[in-house]
Amino acid sequence: MIEFHLNGRSGVAPYMQLIHQVRQALRLGLLREGDQLPKVKDVAAGLAINPNTVLKAYRELEYEGLTAARPGVGTFVTGTLGGTSLAAHGPLRRDLQRWLARARHAGLDDESIEALFLNTFRSAAEEDIA
Amino acid sequence: MTAVIETKGLGKRYRQLQALADCTLSVPAGHVVGLVGPNGAGKSTLLNLAAGLLAPTTGTIEVLGGPAPAQLAKLGFLAQDAPVYATLSVADHLKLGARLNPGWDQALARARIDQLDLDPGQKAGTLSGGQRAQLALTLALAKRPRLLILDEPVASLDPLARREFLQDLMEAVAEQDLSVVLSSHLIADLERVCDYLIVLVGSRVRVAGPVEELLATHHLLTGPRRDPATLPDGQQVISASHTDVQSTLLVRTSSPVLDPAWTVSEVGLEDMVLAYMRQAAGPGRRRTPGNHLEVQK
Amino acid sequence: MIWLTWRQFRPQAVISLAALAAFAILLGATGPHLASMYATSGIAGCHGTGGCSYVVSSFLGLLSGFYTLVFMLGIAGVILAPAVIGVFWGAPLIAREFETGTFRLAWTQSITRARWLASKLALPGLAAMAVTEGLSLMYGWWAAPIGQAARFANNSNFPLGMSPYSLLAFDAHGVVPLGYAAFGFALGVTAGVLIRRTLPAMALTLAIFAAVQVAMPLAIRPSLFPPAHMTQSLAANFSGQQSAGPGGTFGLTLDYIDSEPGAWIFSSGAVNAAGQPVSLMPAACVNAHTGDPNQCLASHGIRIAVSYLPTSRYWPIQLTETGIYLALALVLAGFSYWRLGRRLP
Repeated sequence: MIEFHLNGRSGVAPYMQLIHQVRQALRLGLLREGDQLPKVKDVAAGLAINPNTVLKAYRELEYEGLTAARPGVGTFVTGTLGGTSLAAHGPLRRDLQRWLARARHAGLDDESIEALFLNTFRSAAEEDIA
Repeated sequence: MTAVIETKGLGKRYRQLQALADCTLSVPAGHVVGLVGPNGAGKSTLLNLAAGLLAPTTGTIEVLGGPAPAQLAKLGFLAQDAPVYATLSVADHLKLGARLNPGWDQALARARIDQLDLDPGQKAGTLSGGQRAQLALTLALAKRPRLLILDEPVASLDPLARREFLQDLMEAVAEQDLSVVLSSHLIADLERVCDYLIVLVGSRVRVAGPVEELLATHHLLTGPRRDPATLPDGQQVISASHTDVQSTLLVRTSSPVLDPAWTVSEVGLEDMVLAYMRQAAGPGRRRTPGNHLEVQK
Repeated sequence: MIWLTWRQFRPQAVISLAALAAFAILLGATGPHLASMYATSGIAGCHGTGGCSYVVSSFLGLLSGFYTLVFMLGIAGVILAPAVIGVFWGAPLIAREFETGTFRLAWTQSITRARWLASKLALPGLAAMAVTEGLSLMYGWWAAPIGQAARFANNSNFPLGMSPYSLLAFDAHGVVPLGYAAFGFALGVTAGVLIRRTLPAMALTLAIFAAVQVAMPLAIRPSLFPPAHMTQSLAANFSGQQSAGPGGTFGLTLDYIDSEPGAWIFSSGAVNAAGQPVSLMPAACVNAHTGDPNQCLASHGIRIAVSYLPTSRYWPIQLTETGIYLALALVLAGFSYWRLGRRLP
């Protein structure tokens, strides 16, 4: 079973941090389909946070289709992220590294690279929806 | 969900001092409610009124649907500094709870005492501050209350005792379907555990609501120097500070801020509470970041 | 709640039981011997002041310093017990709860304030009355021989006089100790409720209790029942005193009425044949050197008038006084309840 932690200074809302940690665990294979997430009571007690915060995170995960709650038993992982295996990441990573080298060579600083990437990413996502 | 605490125009006066004034609140059930404000703001007074330990001078207060203290059996109260009977042992205190409360859960009480590693035979007067707070919490929880009121429960505890106390409290909230009202003069204590906030400054309630809503409706506006009075009606200025060219305003508004002159950023709970404290202190001398004294215009 | 009251009261209960036991042992060890001394002294069968004074004096002379000490300790114990109870049981009872903040724990359990207070008062209050009355009864049993003897003593050296009405004797016997204990306890509790600090409450309790205990015999007890009046002739067996004043004035006082042993004498004075007070010596008696000075006065029709309370009034006064103290205790208890329920910090 995974264990949560909170970074009080990260500026990210606690429930979002919990969601991120579940997704990260899924990516890394620490959580697999059928695994149970820690009980709301245990998370709230372990981190000294409001149980509603945990409930909110778990509800969001359920909404995204990653988990499902079984009343009286707990919350269980039902989905996976992306559906791609780690193997596909290798070539994509190398492509990305090459692109980054070219961007730096063209004189872009970090913030400009990030802005360019996010811009392109978002408009591509909108085109997919449209 | 009904309100666990309902007050209308509640006020408390001691001779010269008005400890609480004009307090109208409807505290919803099912939340962990934080009551925050500086020392002397009236937090203890409000909580003691809710527990039936004080009688109001003006207005009314209803707790769990009836006048305080009609519902004592369903109310758990933890007073400031966790008073216990120094000459009675831990086990004696459990017996006290069992004898004086109809809904007492002895199994729960014993389980908690064991879990806390407290010696049942130890005299309560020799317990540490953290242990006393935990004993008092045990006594309050084993009543199986619907509402738990805690007056500055962690103020005098060391960080570890503080964390353990809040952990146990959150566990109880998760298990028991419990509403909680706890007060503190430090917002940091309350941020993680509260989902509803009441800000009490200078004996008056300044703002109250779910934490999410408060965070969503309070913004920090920075922009060119501007008179706060020129802002649109829906934007209530809580605090303002100015340099010769720039204004920084903390505003409360339920609609989006559309004026492009402003840079809008989020506000943390601590800054929000500080803004209300400044507002209550009134116009006067303030320090600018450069540590100069500047009269606020 | 009874359990909690007992648990909080336990240390004081233990101490007082120990004190009571020590007292009982002391009295029990010395009492029988005292009684046998009295039995062999012949006081029981003596008649009249003349015949008795010898046997009484010799009996009292037998009592060494030790017995006198126990006698004094006993009286002190019984008289002081209500004050000690008021100060040490009553004052801290609620003042401690305010000082330590435990009232916030006690009053947020599920019992009503009324039940809490009633329980807090009942156990120690009843114990207070029982302990004080117990002390009084034990002491009364032990000191009975001395009391009997004192009734016949003409010895003004005897410390405590002759009447059951005499100050310390009245307060230490009968049922009044019960009343004093209830009042002292209730007074202490009320002081604690008003002041909310243990030590000042203890001081106030002591001060007020002492004031009341002084005021009662001086001002109130004498007016509870109307006194009886009589006049006596200045015959040869006149047992009073004559005093002379300036300008030919004189006074007559009577400390003891033969026909009313143990009576409480309020006042006595010379009256003429018509019953009016007289203070001027008749001219003929002024410089009389021969014979009994009282004969001269008697021949002018002067008698002594006394107002007094006979011993038959003893129990009515005891009961009335106890009733007054119990009523005061109830009023104080009611006031404390009102004060706790209505106005709080």
